[in-house]
Amino acid sequence: MSSKPSFIGAVEIGTSKITALIGEYNGRELAIIGRGECASRGVIKGSVVDYKAASDCAHSALELAERDAGERIELVFLAQTGGHLDGFYNEASVNVKSSDNMIGRDDIRTVCDLAKSKELPAGRMVVHNIRRPFRVDGRLVPTSPENLVGQKLEVGYWTVHGQEQRLADNIHVIRGFNLEVRELVLASLASGHMVTTAEERQNGVLAIDIGAGTTDFVLYRDGVGHTTGVVPVGGTHLTNDLSLGLRLTEGQAEKLKLRHGRATVQARDKSEKVWLDGNFAIGDRQFPRHAIEQITAARTWELLEVVKKKLGHSFSTETCQAGVVLTGGTAKLPGIAECAAKVFGVPAHLGETPSWVAENLRDPGYHTALGLLYYGVSSQGEKSAPIRRKAGFLHSVSRLFATS
Amino acid sequence: MSLINDNFPTARSWRDIPQPVKPRAMSRGGRQRFILSIVRSSLVFAVIVGVGVGGWQVFRVTHETLGKPSVSAAAPLSSTQLETTGYLGGDATWLARTLALPRNATLMGLDLDGLRARLLAQGQVQSAVLTKVFPSTLRVQLTERTPVVRVMAQLPGAEPRQFLVARDGVVFSGVGFPAEIVESLPWLEPTKLVRDGDGFVPVAGMVVVADLLGKARLEAEHLYKTWRIVSLAALNTDAEVEVRTASGASMVFSASADTLSQIAKLDLILDRLAQRGSTFKRITLGGGRDAIVTLDVPLVPVATSASTKTAPATAPRRGSTSFSPAFGNFSPSSKKSREL
Repeated sequence: MSSKPSFIGAVEIGTSKITALIGEYNGRELAIIGRGECASRGVIKGSVVDYKAASDCAHSALELAERDAGERIELVFLAQTGGHLDGFYNEASVNVKSSDNMIGRDDIRTVCDLAKSKELPAGRMVVHNIRRPFRVDGRLVPTSPENLVGQKLEVGYWTVHGQEQRLADNIHVIRGFNLEVRELVLASLASGHMVTTAEERQNGVLAIDIGAGTTDFVLYRDGVGHTTGVVPVGGTHLTNDLSLGLRLTEGQAEKLKLRHGRATVQARDKSEKVWLDGNFAIGDRQFPRHAIEQITAARTWELLEVVKKKLGHSFSTETCQAGVVLTGGTAKLPGIAECAAKVFGVPAHLGETPSWVAENLRDPGYHTALGLLYYGVSSQGEKSAPIRRKAGFLHSVSRLFATS
Repeated sequence: MSLINDNFPTARSWRDIPQPVKPRAMSRGGRQRFILSIVRSSLVFAVIVGVGVGGWQVFRVTHETLGKPSVSAAAPLSSTQLETTGYLGGDATWLARTLALPRNATLMGLDLDGLRARLLAQGQVQSAVLTKVFPSTLRVQLTERTPVVRVMAQLPGAEPRQFLVARDGVVFSGVGFPAEIVESLPWLEPTKLVRDGDGFVPVAGMVVVADLLGKARLEAEHLYKTWRIVSLAALNTDAEVEVRTASGASMVFSASADTLSQIAKLDLILDRLAQRGSTFKRITLGGGRDAIVTLDVPLVPVATSASTKTAPATAPRRGSTSFSPAFGNFSPSSKKSREL
């Protein structure tokens, strides 16, 4: 394995902020060496609506990250979210061709191609094809079924697809900085990969990433992503509800949400009031704590209910034994785990950042970007190990041409 | 297998989205990176092309000079090609005598610098280029000196014989020159040539002589034909070159004055003398508009005084005579003729 390091970028274009991380990958380990972030502009619900504003923010974040790392990157893994994303499940089965019923590579390839071959409506493009475990005569096979004996081979794919223009906009924002988008990764898969363990994924776990504009979720079963989804509701909707309910500006509502918002109602005294600023300045007002908690809790409950509804039959307490893991900026809302546990009927907890992650990256808001790097590197390694393959002099030369 | 798979409808992936964007869609940083990448790509391309061309050149040279020597080094030199600007090519054996190549010499074994030095040691050769032409030919390209005058000299242990002197003063034997060319050259007044190895030290002042004789030959050939001896005896002391005719008359040219005007003045004086039926013994030119003519026979004997052999000859005043010089480039309307 090559020890020559490669420098990879991860970019999450979020509704509240754009985050860029740079990782140094030596073929065995990935180290985060640069970070840059910029308050997001031109992005609503995870979709680019102002190309120039979004580009400026993204490029600022990338420049900061490169400066922090002291290295230039040539390719990035880009997180993809947005309400335009959707998914469906499609499966296929083939009869094993071999006379001795031993499954060969051709059988596997055929059934996989069949399962992925469903056509999409015009203007839709595949973002991910997430394979579920093979089944041989109804028997679950967690790894490759090659050389197993059986008559019928089955497999299914959860296909995530999105609107072509929205996907292109995101890619072009990065390409405007003359960087290649090597991999487009669903935000929920990235953050879910970061906050769940392999054991949890094997036992079944639901990872919910509640961002500012969207809520991404992924349900893992049998160690792989089973169902994913995006709800175009996030922390800004809580702020908006507070703003409407208490007649506040968005800034004031955001401040109240961060200081007094909760996902469950805790205040018993309905007359208890809290100050808006608490600095006794002119214009400072008081608001009932119970009302604030009621508004944020109701919206949070509703958001999680929507997630549960979107999961449908895929989710059940039996198949999600590891419970619910919450992450994202809005997951910092107090009582949200308790709320999620009530909604889903399974244990819930906040996603924890692995201990080896640096202190300044331990905030849940970085889970997607961190997960992008790890998920991206691991998925690349599974596909064709391009980083290892391209290391060396020829790789350096090819990189020069690849950027032109 | 592939037949089946090719029939599957394939959904479009995000990878089908063309990633490149137009420069106007890039930020300033993106454009800078884009330009930098183009520059880097160009440099890499130039390096690759350079290495490729260099490699090809090395291969070509190696193929031509090192690839074939195993054949040519063993094969003896088969022929020599002589290309010259003069008359050395007329002597078929001169090149072989001068190069003195060993009988079994091979092309790869030739010392071109040494051979070139041998050729240049022959005064007649001004420059020489020697080229190895594979597989077994030596090409010699020479530039020869042009003789200006001839001189009698004697090498140690040999009889006095005729040598030629070039414009740069180099004295050489003069191989292959036709007799009419050599005989048309004036003699250099016997002077003591300084020995230098097997030859002589170049004669100083030959540039002045070459200039004088060349212009006379070109502009007044009828005068040049009568010149037999050129003397440089007074060149260093008086800056004068003396030319003597077959009849013993002498003409003294100034090395510092314009050569062409002196020749024109001489031609005019000789015309006037011919009209008067006089002959001269010595004409000293180069004194501006004047010339000193020493006549061979006095024009009018004066009984009361000593016969005057020397008389100043003043050129006619402007427009005082219709004068047509014998050479074409010197017209009566020119400034020189008016001064005369």
